[in-house]
Amino acid sequence: MEGKIIVITSGKGGVGKTTATSSIGAALAMQGKRVAVIDMDIGLRNLDVIMGLENRIVFNIVDVVNNRCKISQAAIKDRRIDNLFLIPASQSDNKDVLTTKGVQRVAKELKKEFDYIIMDSPAGIERGFENSVVSADEAIVVCTPDVSAVRDADRVIGLLYSKSIKPKLLVNRIEPARVARGEMLSHEDVLEVLSIELAGLVPMDEYVLTSSNMGLPLVLQKESKAGQAFIRIAKRLNGETDLPIEVPTHKTRMWNTISKKFGFTK
Amino acid sequence: MAVTIYFVILMNNETSNSIKLKGSGNGFKLTLDPSMPVSSIEEELTQLFESLKHFAQNAKVVIDTDGVKGYDHVIENIESFLKKKFKVGEVSTFLPEKEIKQGSDSSKPWMFHRSDVLMLKGRIRSGQKIESKKHIIIAGDVNPGAEISSGGDVIILGRLNGKVHAGLPDKKDAIIFALEFNPTQIKIADVTAIGSDEKSGSKKAEFACIDKDRIIVQDYLKANPFASIPWPEAL
Repeated sequence: MEGKIIVITSGKGGVGKTTATSSIGAALAMQGKRVAVIDMDIGLRNLDVIMGLENRIVFNIVDVVNNRCKISQAAIKDRRIDNLFLIPASQSDNKDVLTTKGVQRVAKELKKEFDYIIMDSPAGIERGFENSVVSADEAIVVCTPDVSAVRDADRVIGLLYSKSIKPKLLVNRIEPARVARGEMLSHEDVLEVLSIELAGLVPMDEYVLTSSNMGLPLVLQKESKAGQAFIRIAKRLNGETDLPIEVPTHKTRMWNTISKKFGFTK
Repeated sequence: MAVTIYFVILMNNETSNSIKLKGSGNGFKLTLDPSMPVSSIEEELTQLFESLKHFAQNAKVVIDTDGVKGYDHVIENIESFLKKKFKVGEVSTFLPEKEIKQGSDSSKPWMFHRSDVLMLKGRIRSGQKIESKKHIIIAGDVNPGAEISSGGDVIILGRLNGKVHAGLPDKKDAIIFALEFNPTQIKIADVTAIGSDEKSGSKKAEFACIDKDRIIVQDYLKANPFASIPWPEAL
């Protein structure tokens, strides 16, 4: 069977595209799929750092697209998770060195070798974005619950629809306590504006910063709420579509036990 | 028939002119803007009617000012000019069908009305721009960052959070209506107003219109702008 290309995009920078890419990629690989994660942010590569694979880079995606090496030469195997491969971005080029035609050709080859190809799109809607979405089968739009991120996500969703890609929404960095106090947009508020299918909800989590600084996969950390949320998202992408979306909640421990007893929580 | 075909070809050659001549029935229909300087009107008419040659003699000419009123003297001038110089038969002004049919209860003009409305359904997202000379009706929400500009009214059956320009360029009686009225900026004809900074909690259907050169926003059900129209008109 041919693989599937999923592009992770957002419009706005700093909302967690790269974290989402590495986590979803890792989670899919842990479920036994052959996964390639590709950093399309040419000139500003991060994905390798977050995955802790920076020191192993020899070739990158620009070399692959420009026929300077084979895919197998550029794909770096993950240290901890089998079946997970990274094709890094080039740090010295800029986004214009890639052509959509070249990307499409490489995408075709990648689809033969991998079950899932997760592309980390750069922020913005320029050339880099175009290159990332040109051969995508699915798209996940990452959005944080703040007004400007929602605005940019809205724009990107419009652009994806115009390329006949039906995107799904991932709301990242939800802080249930602040949502409860009314300081933060809830995921319902975000959905009200964007009105697309939800891929999943990811809570704010301290583990994200520490694990990405150390280059450890978030999904391997059992205590990380965000990591667990990403695992569930990956499961849903991988066919378990009836797995319910868990809404991050903020409750004291006592209230939690009581509500569980009476069946208030799902 | 021969006359009509002749003029279709002729009109294709006359692309630069603002006066349009069309064969209709047993005569000609002349569409022009009477506010143009008389000299240039006469110049263009001369050009057009000279190419008509003998067809112009004793022909019936109907002048359509495209709804512009108050230039009767100009039209009289044109009438005498055409009669004197080209010996046309009869010159009359064009009355829009609407005015003729108004008040006749038995007829239903809207049944034969070609729509002047652009109706879209779905969500208008940030960065999308909807432009039309027609009235615009949107069955869906207009997100922040989206833009709509219309030559007539803008009616949104949903939330309005974007930017709207109605009555482009100078239709001051245009309105903007939304079921939840919370735009970032609105403009009617050449009057601009900015939306309120705080999110209004009211989920009333509201509309904006021009009142004494300022834009006012009113509760739709309390001040229904259409209630004063006694007989249904096609939009």
